[in-house]
Amino acid sequence: MKTWQRSFVVVCAFLALFGGVAYAQTPGVAAVEFPYTGNRTAVWIVAQLHTLFGAFILGAPIFIVISEWLGYRKQDLRYDRLAKEVTKVTVILFSMTALTGGLFIFVLLAAYPQFTSWFINQFYLVFAVIYPLLFIGGTIVLYAYFYTWDAWKGEKKGRHIALGVLLNLLCMVTMFVINGPTSFMNTPLKADGISPQDLLAAASLWDKIANQSWMPLNLHRIDGNVAFGGFMTGMIAAYMYMGAKTQEERAFYDWMGFVGNLIAVGATLFQPFTGLLLAYEMCDYDFSFCPYMMADQLSMFFEMQGAMIGLMFLAINYYAWLSLKRIEGAERVRMTILAPIVMVALPIVMVAVLNVYWIPDPKSLLFLLPLILAPFLFGRFIPKTVSARTVIKIGFLMIIVSDAIWLTPRGFAATGANLAPGLEIPSDWDILASMPAKVSAMFTLVFATVLNYILYNRAIKQGTILWGKIDFTSQFVLILLAFISIWTMGLMGAVRSLVRKYYHTYSLIPDFTAESFTPTLSYSAWWITGITVVFFSVVSLAVIMALRPSESKGRVPERAPVPARAE
Amino acid sequence: MGNVIKKLAIGLVVGGVLVGVARALEFPFVYQMLFFGFAMLGAAVFMLLDAPPLRTMSGGKSMFALVAFYMLLCTVCIAGASFLPQFDPEDEKGKIAKILKPQIDASEKGKTEELIARAKALDEQVRALEVRLKILGGDQVVPPPAGTPPAAPTTSVTTGDFMKLGEEQWQLMECYNCHKLRGEGGKKRGPELDNIGSLLTVDEIKQKITDPKSFMAEGFEKEWEKGRMPDKFKDLMEPKDIQALASWLGTFKNTSVNTPRPIKKK
Repeated sequence: MKTWQRSFVVVCAFLALFGGVAYAQTPGVAAVEFPYTGNRTAVWIVAQLHTLFGAFILGAPIFIVISEWLGYRKQDLRYDRLAKEVTKVTVILFSMTALTGGLFIFVLLAAYPQFTSWFINQFYLVFAVIYPLLFIGGTIVLYAYFYTWDAWKGEKKGRHIALGVLLNLLCMVTMFVINGPTSFMNTPLKADGISPQDLLAAASLWDKIANQSWMPLNLHRIDGNVAFGGFMTGMIAAYMYMGAKTQEERAFYDWMGFVGNLIAVGATLFQPFTGLLLAYEMCDYDFSFCPYMMADQLSMFFEMQGAMIGLMFLAINYYAWLSLKRIEGAERVRMTILAPIVMVALPIVMVAVLNVYWIPDPKSLLFLLPLILAPFLFGRFIPKTVSARTVIKIGFLMIIVSDAIWLTPRGFAATGANLAPGLEIPSDWDILASMPAKVSAMFTLVFATVLNYILYNRAIKQGTILWGKIDFTSQFVLILLAFISIWTMGLMGAVRSLVRKYYHTYSLIPDFTAESFTPTLSYSAWWITGITVVFFSVVSLAVIMALRPSESKGRVPERAPVPARAE
Repeated sequence: MGNVIKKLAIGLVVGGVLVGVARALEFPFVYQMLFFGFAMLGAAVFMLLDAPPLRTMSGGKSMFALVAFYMLLCTVCIAGASFLPQFDPEDEKGKIAKILKPQIDASEKGKTEELIARAKALDEQVRALEVRLKILGGDQVVPPPAGTPPAAPTTSVTTGDFMKLGEEQWQLMECYNCHKLRGEGGKKRGPELDNIGSLLTVDEIKQKITDPKSFMAEGFEKEWEKGRMPDKFKDLMEPKDIQALASWLGTFKNTSVNTPRPIKKK
């Protein structure tokens, strides 16, 4: 896509945004009926697509600048090439974010005119001034960042990295700002003894933005976007690896997939905890959210989430396993026997401890921290060690056990009301379905993955990586990870919206339309899959457009990749 | 092939043991199948770990493999989600309409809808009269004066109806999610209420519903401190609905159930 085409798309998007905000001020607009999808699903599709593109353009710059900085510091041109290739894709997707954002406002206005007018008026300054200005600022800085890449080399590289940091700051602030209205819809202001309407009338813009779930949502999204950026980089690398014609190309894209995956895994390890914090704050805001999510209408959505997260952890570790196979000398890596022992004991001990000292009681840490740190603190004093292969295989076993614990529900029914004796867990074993068991499973998944990646890291340091020699299956694993990551984002996005039940803005503005019910998981899965496929198709096209032409022009190889050991 | 057979055999044995243990521990059949499924998943994972490397593909072959892989992923995601128990939205639709009715009636939309409904009813009346007039010859029936509203159904609010309304509010507000009553509902989040009528008056129950901090159930100190009971019912429910729910709950005086003693806080 040429510069004028990109600029045209961005201008159109801003016209749509400003037009939408202005249109919202016209009184008495009737709602449009969207054919086939209905109004709610139409909004859902556009909103989710906008969120996915937004997540990419917010997550990728973090990834890009880190990569560029690493390249500068290590004087390794591969990092610089990786950063530039991802930036090319990001520039195209920046336009898509603006376009879907403008479309989102229009669809929202057409489908829910009264509510949208009210909502825009509540956050007029955000929608009409702050958000567009930040977005315009972000676009200008991104373009400047991209077009100065080749000009600001050598001594000027520091200046270029600083521009990248500025881009990240702008992106971060943009996300924080737009998360205000988003989280407000779930947890608007409330206070004892004052009606929500009276409280809202007296509230400032800041009061509305800094609502109870705002900061947890910010944290969850920062973390999620970094992971998302990493997984998407892995997917781009996999595409390019599959299309590579030379061994040199394969070596580079193998390395790119490895880096993308590594950063994504680092961020993913925090995801369950930031997600838990968000859920905790929402339940603290209104406890009725909790049973609605975990025990009733949305309980099977969480069952599906557990399945996807379990699959994601299996794939993350499988990629490490396949990577390890192409490291010469990996068989020499060993680890203290305490590591697998703690891994096996962790879910049992943790369930027992958390049953007595439930979160946020810090006493649980008195028992759990020494246990988790034992392999690292006392491992060197115990002479018995086991091979990396054995530890990783035990890790896989524990991941499957953790998945099983996570996926064991209190009952196989969509709501507590439908629970029949033949579908319910025996009362003596309902501990398996308790929150302490789920948190323990989550911790075990993270612990096993951390151990595997420590071993992986040791193997990289002690052995020699044969770049471009990885099992071809790994490229499908990278694509699987990106797919699961997007699908789960879609699922959890639906959950976050559905928690509002029959309200547009919880307890303030009811949704009087006939569509304000909880949809079935199956219906949701069809749409989430559809949205994921559309997103993947657009990203795939962007990858082809951004990265293929440079190849046809006969790019001069920047530097032949060399084995890690030789660095 | 040897790898696959060996892992499959181990998976079947482990799965069989898990099913046997689960059956002995009286887990329902669906849980037995879940555990068996995980044993087979484990077998599949260990098969993959020791599988020979996949040959590098390129060009059309890799494109075909990619498309097939995406199709597989889409199928697994949709089928997996559809395989789980599905919530029936019909269960909720009636409830939502009832909960939101007072707010719909009070809104501009509600007023417009009411006017449209009345206009439609009048229109139908006129058409019916026209048909009758045609049948009767046109001049034998005196039509009612224009604008006469249709006969409203007479409703008598008896005590039985009032109690029924209270029970309906229990269901609509999903109080059963946290409170056990008549042996149904409750997940230990809130006190069991079968004897609440012996411990609190109807007015006190009403006070508790509208201001959850007004009373604290013994043994539920943490829940009270954290404000577990939502402070939204006074905004969500009509005064008559709150009165009905409180009156209905006030009839529960089953002393054999250990309903925790409420402590007045306000």
